[in-house]
Amino acid sequence: MAGARMGASVAVVTLHLETIGQMPCNPSIGGIGKGHLVAEIDALGGVQGWAADRTGIHFRLLNASRGPAVWGPRAQCDKDRYATIMRRLLLGTRGIDLIEGEATDLVVGGKAVCGVVLADGRRLKAGAVVLTTGTFLGAVLHTGEDRRAGGRFGERPSIGMGRSWVGAGLELRRFKTGTPPRIHRDSVDFARLEEQVGDERPRGFSWRTTGVRNYTPCWVARTPPQVQAIIEENLERSPLFAGQIEGVGPRYCPSIEDKIVRFPHHKEHTVFVEPETRAGNSIYLNGLSTSLPEDVQVAVVRAVPGLERAQFLRYGYAVEYDVVAPRQVGFDLAAEAVPGLYLAGQLLGTSGYEEAAGLGLMAGINAAASVLGKEGARVDRTEGYIGVLIDDVVTRDHREPYRMFTSRAENRLMLGVDSARERLMVAGVRLGLVPERVFHVEQCRWEARRQAITQLEATQLNPNRETVEMVLGMTGVEVRSPTTWAGILRRQDIDIRRVGDTLSGLAHLAPEDREVVIGRLKYRGYIERQEREQSRLVRLRGVKIPAGFGFRSISGLSREIMEEMERTRPRTLSEAAQLAGMTPAALALVAGRLATRGQGGKP
Amino acid sequence: MVKASSSRLSSVLSGCADTIVAQATANGSGALAIIRFSGPEIQAVAERLCPRLSVARPREAQLVALLGRDGREIDRGVCTPYAAPRSFTGEDMLEAVVHGSPWVVEEVIATSVSLGARRAVPGEFTQRAVANGKMDLVQAEGVNELVRAETRWQARLAREQMHGSLSGRISPLREKITGLRARIEASLDFVDQGVVLSDEELRGALGECIGAVRGLLASFVVGERVREGARVVIVGPPNSGKSTLFNALLARERAIVAPCPGTTRDVLEAGLDMGGVPVVLVDTAGVRSTEDIVEAEGVRRAEAAAAGADLVVLLRSADSPRETVELWGVEKDRILEVISKSDLLEVAPTGEDVMTASCVAEGGLAELREAIERIVLAPLQAHDGNVAINRRHKEALSRAQEHLERSLLAPREVAAEDVREAGEALEELLGLIDTEAVLDAVFASFCLGK
Ligand SMILES: Cc1cc2nc3c(=O)[nH]c(=O)nc-3n(C[C@H](O)[C@H](O)[C@H](O)COP(=O)(O)OP(=O)(O)OC[C@H]3O[C@@H](n4cnc5c(N)ncnc54)[C@H](O)[C@@H]3O)c2cc1C
Ligand SMILES: Nc1nc2c(ncn2[C@@H]2O[C@H](COP(=O)(O)OP(=O)(O)OP(=O)(O)O)[C@@H](O)[C@H]2O)c(=O)[nH]1
Ligand SMILES: [Mg+2]
Repeated sequence: MAGARMGASVAVVTLHLETIGQMPCNPSIGGIGKGHLVAEIDALGGVQGWAADRTGIHFRLLNASRGPAVWGPRAQCDKDRYATIMRRLLLGTRGIDLIEGEATDLVVGGKAVCGVVLADGRRLKAGAVVLTTGTFLGAVLHTGEDRRAGGRFGERPSIGMGRSWVGAGLELRRFKTGTPPRIHRDSVDFARLEEQVGDERPRGFSWRTTGVRNYTPCWVARTPPQVQAIIEENLERSPLFAGQIEGVGPRYCPSIEDKIVRFPHHKEHTVFVEPETRAGNSIYLNGLSTSLPEDVQVAVVRAVPGLERAQFLRYGYAVEYDVVAPRQVGFDLAAEAVPGLYLAGQLLGTSGYEEAAGLGLMAGINAAASVLGKEGARVDRTEGYIGVLIDDVVTRDHREPYRMFTSRAENRLMLGVDSARERLMVAGVRLGLVPERVFHVEQCRWEARRQAITQLEATQLNPNRETVEMVLGMTGVEVRSPTTWAGILRRQDIDIRRVGDTLSGLAHLAPEDREVVIGRLKYRGYIERQEREQSRLVRLRGVKIPAGFGFRSISGLSREIMEEMERTRPRTLSEAAQLAGMTPAALALVAGRLATRGQGGKP
Repeated sequence: MVKASSSRLSSVLSGCADTIVAQATANGSGALAIIRFSGPEIQAVAERLCPRLSVARPREAQLVALLGRDGREIDRGVCTPYAAPRSFTGEDMLEAVVHGSPWVVEEVIATSVSLGARRAVPGEFTQRAVANGKMDLVQAEGVNELVRAETRWQARLAREQMHGSLSGRISPLREKITGLRARIEASLDFVDQGVVLSDEELRGALGECIGAVRGLLASFVVGERVREGARVVIVGPPNSGKSTLFNALLARERAIVAPCPGTTRDVLEAGLDMGGVPVVLVDTAGVRSTEDIVEAEGVRRAEAAAAGADLVVLLRSADSPRETVELWGVEKDRILEVISKSDLLEVAPTGEDVMTASCVAEGGLAELREAIERIVLAPLQAHDGNVAINRRHKEALSRAQEHLERSLLAPREVAAEDVREAGEALEELLGLIDTEAVLDAVFASFCLGK
């Protein structure tokens, strides 16, 4: 979509037109780390957050009690409406042709890709091809002993494509993911579940959104100890443990059978009971992802208090699929082995809608830019989570599906959802994906926040009687030595809501911006220290590694790391630092060796 | 011998993965000399240098002839091969014990260089041991300190440190901090999956880490005393017998002694070993007000020396006990008051709890020596004695402490960063991360062949 809006003529090929925008797993967008990605996609002009806002039925800000750097906005969406809106957005974008069919091969002219061949024999010519086969490539679905080819429930896989890539020199790898069963709303005894309401003041993701609201609560259930026994009895019927599945699944999103086996001392596991649509009947059992046989699934679900009468609408299943092993694309997501070919989405070994959207957006932008002869876009890992994501996909070897966490970002404190637009919107404007007028409105808001910070830092509070009483009345804090308002607000024990409405300098801001201002005040000392540190690190990291550098001549390096460096040939120390298995000690050896050669140039 | 270049680490690393050779014993002639080799080409070197040696029998001392470039015998020596990774450096090694003639040693080294080996730079063997994971940086420092140890305590601490006494306390602490960081991160990234780490629990864990860091930091006084020793300054009025005591403690006539006051004009220093700790003993000019500008300068220097002392031995003479010196700015617990020339005392001083000593007659001198020794060794007694951090350790641990303490007060996502930095400070300490500067500083003081 971004490509078309940049002026390219785009053909979107999919196996099933009606499944565009389909969320095969939990219809929820955002979360911690993932919410950061959505905010950044939105700032660059992507539509995921907007679609989530328009179809959201339950909004919650995770980590709301913490500072803005780790806020994780999350929306439970109406699955059907989300898909509908996404389809409409595609149909409504000038320059996009939607084509149903299976792409089976790449057309290669010379060395570069110049189109695709469809199963029905059609040939599509293109200056650049973006592949996003998701979970479809060579895909196999598993439910218990039952095993069939398919990319998602009820959808066939994509078989031909993989073979042509292996020919093109791309290394593939096998991953696995899974989804829980869906049950009928009327069969749930909600009175026995713990209710979880959405936020009092729900916030949307997008600058396009004016307001969002909650339509439904969600619920929480817990698995009782007997679930452990049920699963243990049937473990040999689990494709995961019977050895049927070879693909590597995500550790942080394990199936219930995985959880039981890996954490036998946990007697209880949480299940979030979430509606899939606003008005429909389907209920998603978040936390019960499984590929056990159907009868076992029924036994497990019905063992959960509140779900004893559960009627199944669909059984859980696991899917195994091919991905392109990491480190075969450049920072623009172009495949290194095949010019003109771009890769994105789950195909790159990530997992999740947000990761897929971030990669899809950037691949689309860069592919279109290459065709249009424009400048593409790149987000550095210090600039945003999209940068962290791409950098990791490009330089690190992950052996399981990759999901975003805030702890992956080195300078997390500067990459909060609150600053996504400040960081990235200017790029969205340059690419023509964000209207300038929106940017100007936003700019005013950023400026107001910045001024508030300056003002609060500057307002002196001296411990005279008048001031002491005023501050005590407003905050409950007693001023004992001269300080500033910023100093008071930095304290951990301040109730923002109490001060926000009355304190000049804050009162004129929107409630959300007040929290941002206070959060940033709290980070300030740390960030200043970090910036000082940064200048030191930048010097080291920028050190270039000459092209013919002999990594093998460095003694003390482990064989793996040596081979890794010979293979990937990092160009700078910072690239070397990010290699899988790289240790600081090994890096020190490389740095030392570089210094010897007298080639450690300053950037 | 090879001189270290301006960037030491650089030269250490300059020919890595090659085979290095160096004399491990001191230069000059001696009964025996040891020549050490380390690197992948040991076998190739040995084939020509000592063809009778069987490298296939590692750790076995073999008496063999060492041959020069012309194939003639240089010497016969006992050679012990070691096979990687079971060696000091973790690489293939060879240790040759030959007769300690400078010519023999130089011939053996020159021959091996012609066979492809390279002369090692100071510290290079130990550096390889660190690089190959045979020991961490703290242990490597222990090796160096043991080589340089001059007193019993220095040797003891160095040996313990080499065997991992200090690393054994830093490593678990580092693991604990790393584990804590992981839990903090999980509590931020997985709240939606019910991962909790309560503020109390976090504070408790941080508190434990801070306690451990403090404990290690407290051992700095031990390390400082053992490594740097103590300055013991003798101060007193003119003619109180300072120089005589100075000489008596040193057991040699170092200072001029004369019956006239104002004999000593300058500050005199001499080193001695007291109870296994190096002590610098200082004699000073007698303190009094004087018109003589040379003597006045001497008095000023005496007072300055007292201010910088770990211990001031303050003398006043038994024949004029009221004549004493007021020391400004020196805390009471750094002063040991002594009445000298106790042989001139007719009656023992009453009501005063002051030591007495005589340098010409029996009585008091041995006790005085013991008293000084006790005070000098006091910091060592206060600790378990097998760890003692040095300045580099102190700097890194202080940094860790600062970060941990800050994290107690910070919002959790900021605390995460501080805890990470605390962990990094310890990693740097153990030599697990970079930095060229750290390594440079540590290896700068190594002997050759170590
Ligand atoms: C069963 C299941 C469980 C999941 N569980 C989780 C989870 O637990 N946690 C999590 O974070 N994420 C999960 N997801 C992942 C999430 O759905 C994906 O990450 C995200 O949708 C990937 O987006 P994508 O655009 O890369 O691919 P997809 O959404 O899979 O879209 C791929 C598209 O490519 C089309 N296509 C494929 N091959 C061809 C071809 N040859 N020719 C033409 N069109 C083709 C398909 O028709 C489809 O439209 C799960 C997905 C599935 C299917
Ligand atoms: N009887 C006796 N005489 C001592 C003793 N110690 C020193 N003397 C004498 O006291 C005189 C002064 O001794 P020094 O050691 O030179 O005294 P000092 O304190 O160094 O004097 P200045 O350097 O002039 O300040 C000499 O004649 C010594 O022999 C002692 O223990 N007993
Ligand atoms: Mg004297």
